[in-house]
Amino acid sequence: MLSRVADALYWMARYLERAEHSARVLAVKLEAMLDQTPDDAAEAWIRVTGALAWPMSEDVKGSPIDIAQQLTLDKAHASSIMTSVRLARDNARQVRELISTEMWGQINRQYLRLNASDTSLIWAAQPVPFLRRVADDLLLFAGITDSTMRHGEGWHFIQLGRYIERAQLIARLLDLHFGALPPDVPQHVRAPRYFEWITLLKQATAFEAYCKVYTADIGPSQIAEFLIFDPEFPHSIRFAVDRIQEELGFLGPGAAAGRRVQAERLAGRLKASLDYGQVDELMAGDIDGFLRSVQASCKQIHQSVFDAFIGYSVDELLPS
Amino acid sequence: MAEAAHPRPVIVSNRARPGVDRPFADYGLGAAHDEMFLPDGTPRPHAAALYQALTTLPGDELARRQQACEQSFLHQGITFTVYGNEEATEKIIPTDLLPRIIPGAEWDKLEQGLRQRISALNLFLKDVYNDGKILNDGIVPRDLVFGSKHYLRQMRGVQVPLDAYVNVCGTDIIRREDGSMVVLEDNLRVPSGVSYMLANREVVRRAFGDLYRACGVRPIESYGQDLLATLKELAVGFRDDPRIVLLTPGIFNSAYYEHAFLARQMGIDLVEGRDLLVHDNVVYMRTTSGVKRVDVIYRRVDDDFIDPLAFRHDSALGVAGLMNAYRAGNVVIANTIGTGVADDKAVYSYVPDIIRYYLDEEPLLGSVETFRCREPNALSHVLANLDTLVVKAVGESGGYGMLVGPHATAAQRTAFAEKVKADPDNYIAQPTIQLSTAPCFVGSGVEARHVDLRPYLLTGRQTRLVPGALTRVALKRGSLVVNSSQGGGSKDTWVVG
Repeated sequence: MLSRVADALYWMARYLERAEHSARVLAVKLEAMLDQTPDDAAEAWIRVTGALAWPMSEDVKGSPIDIAQQLTLDKAHASSIMTSVRLARDNARQVRELISTEMWGQINRQYLRLNASDTSLIWAAQPVPFLRRVADDLLLFAGITDSTMRHGEGWHFIQLGRYIERAQLIARLLDLHFGALPPDVPQHVRAPRYFEWITLLKQATAFEAYCKVYTADIGPSQIAEFLIFDPEFPHSIRFAVDRIQEELGFLGPGAAAGRRVQAERLAGRLKASLDYGQVDELMAGDIDGFLRSVQASCKQIHQSVFDAFIGYSVDELLPS
Repeated sequence: MAEAAHPRPVIVSNRARPGVDRPFADYGLGAAHDEMFLPDGTPRPHAAALYQALTTLPGDELARRQQACEQSFLHQGITFTVYGNEEATEKIIPTDLLPRIIPGAEWDKLEQGLRQRISALNLFLKDVYNDGKILNDGIVPRDLVFGSKHYLRQMRGVQVPLDAYVNVCGTDIIRREDGSMVVLEDNLRVPSGVSYMLANREVVRRAFGDLYRACGVRPIESYGQDLLATLKELAVGFRDDPRIVLLTPGIFNSAYYEHAFLARQMGIDLVEGRDLLVHDNVVYMRTTSGVKRVDVIYRRVDDDFIDPLAFRHDSALGVAGLMNAYRAGNVVIANTIGTGVADDKAVYSYVPDIIRYYLDEEPLLGSVETFRCREPNALSHVLANLDTLVVKAVGESGGYGMLVGPHATAAQRTAFAEKVKADPDNYIAQPTIQLSTAPCFVGSGVEARHVDLRPYLLTGRQTRLVPGALTRVALKRGSLVVNSSQGGGSKDTWVVG
């Protein structure tokens, strides 16, 4: 498959995962605010902007609803859902001949709906249903992708993009709840309380799945264990890393054996830390350091995939 | 789908007269030949079924179907991009819902004429880039060919697979006032619009399912396979399973939708210049599994931009070294480079002679009488009659660089006359022809609009032509300019019976 095309599919998936995550985090938070005192609610928004608007240097200000609107609709904002969907569609358009007509129809309709003239009115009337709809549309796209596109190399690049993005997003979200806030989040907030732990689970679509494993006994340690180490829950870091490691084997079929070594080594090491890690050790030790190393590893895997399959130098490959 | 939602229409009248009754109250019959009505206002036999459908549909039903059709185009992304001050907006190419209908027998005659014409033009191209017999024999002036800006000396003596220089040709046909079909322009470089032919068919068949079935419309869906077969035929002496790619300038090109559409229809890779590289005169593409050799390039990038080493040095759309790889016979480029010399508007006037010279046959298809301003008598005639003529720059296309005399102001004519006098070789003139009119839905009813016809001929070892075409429409009442770059639209074309 063309390197440019693989790159576009990969980024399409990353932007879609990002948009879906943002939509869910915002929807859950806006709903949760109804049960909080105004002060508590306002303070907890620092975690939302920290999770969605990074780098934090980006200017997101105002009341919670203003922040949510910027992170949803602001075309000039690099982290907004609007921007992510636009970039995903631009990438999809690059590879229009490769993705199915159904996939294109879905992403294109969603893009057109977000860009319709009455969007901000619909948002203002009912922001939470608006965000739920966005998230549902993106889930629908993922389902259409799985059932209409050939599960060949292109599909594997999509999966890789999706899970590299997801592992980083979940790690970042957890980083904002456990231990000290990341160094790029300037404000100070109190440690999360009971209510915020439930919100966190819901933001990772994990509340129901968590309860099935741990019952409704909500505690930070179990939450960390579930969202970091659970092998079967699709929004846990371990689940995402397992997929990343699997997908690497499907990229560039027939490529010289040495090309995927670096990426496989990085992914294998990350996987081992999740397969054999223990939550007690993390909670007693450096959990924020661990979560940041997950994010750093994902970035390294991304770079080594790019170097091996997309932006490689052709000189050594050409016949002399 | 549309039919099921509505009860069968009740026949209210089959005597709706153009210019009088709804929905044809504003339908003007003028000097032009009308595709639906005879001069006395009765429907032509081949258009009777459409006429019947239009007079019996409930009032707002056409509007509803038109809207469904536009929605469908928007959702499929069949759009072109307009770059404004703040952001780019995507617009659909206006499509008229009502099919333009051509009787099968007439189509068959047209097809013969088109086949004859493309054979002669391919022989002409081979000749001017090799022996130049037609020039030596004084049939076509030497300086006309060598002076054309589309003549590329890099093509001299190059071996072209199967001697098929033009593999995809989109000839513009018009119907004159007397009803005859003639060639207005041969598009031999990178003709576009075929995806609209296919997309229009999809939506119009959906909108008029019953009518479509009743008329016995000839299918055009094999275009993709035909194009692929043509490209495969060109890979003479290459691998059994040659790698064929479509080279696009990228997503910012106004025809990008078409490029992606055709690549998908054929199941081939859609590549950009940056995906390709040339090493030792062999073309490769960058893939995730390493570099892979490319055998055939269906290119939708203009000559000037295709290789910065051979042509425009500032082009970022092309592939450095491609021309040398082509000359070495290591890759096929379709259409080949330099074909524009044969669709030059001055060469156009010699095509009947070209047909006679190579084929020893009389041309089956007429063309429009053309005054070559390079000839002094013609020049003075043109300057004296600017108010009735259409004057065109020879190397331009897309409706640029032309003057439609009867529609221009005196000042515009004077200004244009100066340009012609300054460089007469660069201009030709033709009488202003009232292109035929066809019924178009315009929101309040059905009105007559001027149309032309662009069929797509494919030439490899054999010449293929699907029975259909893009009918382009001048959407403004009375306008004769159908180019999409000048606000034209298009409609589906049905060859029936």
